[in-house]
Amino acid sequence: MSAGPSGTPAIELRGLVKDFAVGLRGVKLRAVDHLSLRVEPGQVYGLLGPNGSGKSTTIKIILGLLEPTAGECAVFGVPGGRVEARLAVGYLPESPYFYRHLTGRELVQFYARICGLSGARVPARVAEVIGWVGLTEAADRRIGTYSKGMLQRIGLAQALVHDPRLVILDEPTAGVDPVGAAAISALILNLKAQGKTVLITSHLLAQIEDICDRVAILDRGQLILEGAVRELVGVADRQALVVEPLSPVQLGELRVWLAARGRTLEAVETPRARLDRIFLDHVGRTAPAKREGGP
Amino acid sequence: MTRVPFSFTRARLIGQNTLLEASRQKLFSFLLLLALSLVAGAQGFRDFNFGAPELKFLADLGYGAMAFFGAALTVAATAQLFFSEIENRTALTLLAKPVWRAEFILGKYLGIAAVAAVFCVLLTGLLAAVLWAREGSLLTEFPEAFPHGRTLHFADLVAAGYVQWLKLAVLAAFTLLVASFSQTQLYTVVTGFFVLVICHLQYLAQDASARGDSVFARAVAGAIGLLFPNFQLFNLAENVGAGVAVPWDRVAHVSVYALGYVVAAGALAVYSFRKREI
Repeated sequence: MSAGPSGTPAIELRGLVKDFAVGLRGVKLRAVDHLSLRVEPGQVYGLLGPNGSGKSTTIKIILGLLEPTAGECAVFGVPGGRVEARLAVGYLPESPYFYRHLTGRELVQFYARICGLSGARVPARVAEVIGWVGLTEAADRRIGTYSKGMLQRIGLAQALVHDPRLVILDEPTAGVDPVGAAAISALILNLKAQGKTVLITSHLLAQIEDICDRVAILDRGQLILEGAVRELVGVADRQALVVEPLSPVQLGELRVWLAARGRTLEAVETPRARLDRIFLDHVGRTAPAKREGGP
Repeated sequence: MTRVPFSFTRARLIGQNTLLEASRQKLFSFLLLLALSLVAGAQGFRDFNFGAPELKFLADLGYGAMAFFGAALTVAATAQLFFSEIENRTALTLLAKPVWRAEFILGKYLGIAAVAAVFCVLLTGLLAAVLWAREGSLLTEFPEAFPHGRTLHFADLVAAGYVQWLKLAVLAAFTLLVASFSQTQLYTVVTGFFVLVICHLQYLAQDASARGDSVFARAVAGAIGLLFPNFQLFNLAENVGAGVAVPWDRVAHVSVYALGYVVAAGALAVYSFRKREI
């Protein structure tokens, strides 16, 4: 699937404003306030912010589900409100609810056909994406019996079934255990390796830090910080060295050595492993995307 | 830029999914079973025939059940199947695909019309079986009352069932129009039933429009007469029960009449839903 000429940004927002009328008197609530963003093709882009900061509203405007009060939005150069803009987009909504009367396989088949896939390609493609998200064994169970984590994973499958160039994931790890969250991270990195663009919102900042190239932080609808993750989290005028344990005498010698060169040893700490890594190592499971082959 | 034209295939897929969802709901099964039970047990109500010939009474009861339970099913199913998409946020996922909102509305409508069609086909089939069996036993018991053999024409039974379905299809289109701008399912159901009552009493508005004293009253009555279809036109049950052939030109006229209202209500629903915030 393709939309728009190559070289154009995957997403471009210019001066986006969205007001909602609240109550009988129609008092305006500004959910998005003059937001301008540019997501380049192939990036994993994190949209961060506290609850009510305008992340989901922004995503809905990108998908044409809401009309902006002012400003412009384009997906691969196509105005966001147009049906054509959605040809290249796969979307996983926050807390996804799907047709409970369908099985996982029927659901993904339905969306595949809605997206224009037809004939013998459909069953093979559906089986493939269900395999990526690790739901092959549960594919013929009714959606109504799925756990929250399984709903997220079948949601990912329906978002990927038509091979979109841009994947928008709204809180894909909400309610998912660390194993599932790691699997979703692995899937996103696989998508990036394929050259897909991923726009993700998440409250798991450690996950965002691990997988995103750039992030934007929103607060009350306004963009308050934007940049490359490495630049934002790195402390430019400091360095950390990781060495085998030093005795107090050796530490004293190091301080002297540094002082002779005009430097100060500011902190001596024991490096800490991340709790999610310890959890994954001890639970001993591998990510489904790795287990069954990735996108 | 790749253009995405309006697709009847996508509308059909949405319609099929809507029909499947309805068929797996208890409300649909309950109303269907209730109506089927009433028709199947119609002979038990013969004492309430108020002097009408027995076959006519059975036909009236059957089509009455079809009209009553069919209207309840249509209004409830339209509201439920539309709002389940909005409230469960499945519309969010669906409309984030390359789907026109007009395809969504048409798909929902096709699914609901198919639900009504299944209902009418099953009830017409059962009613035909009940009437055929009862007419057969009456022929044996009272052959002198049937000098020319069987009086019921089953093509007429089917035509009457088809016209009942047309009525439900118009009701579904109006209910979908209300749902397209309504914020709650309850409002849609209540308004849908109001529409049903207005359509059944529309002929009164037409009379008032012709005979009203004041210009204002005539204008209001005339507007109601124009905006809402006359559901009295959809009643062919009397012909069937009395063994009178259904006038096919009337069936054709009612078909065109129903189609006009369905298209108008559907177009308004699409317009209303066009910019609805999901």
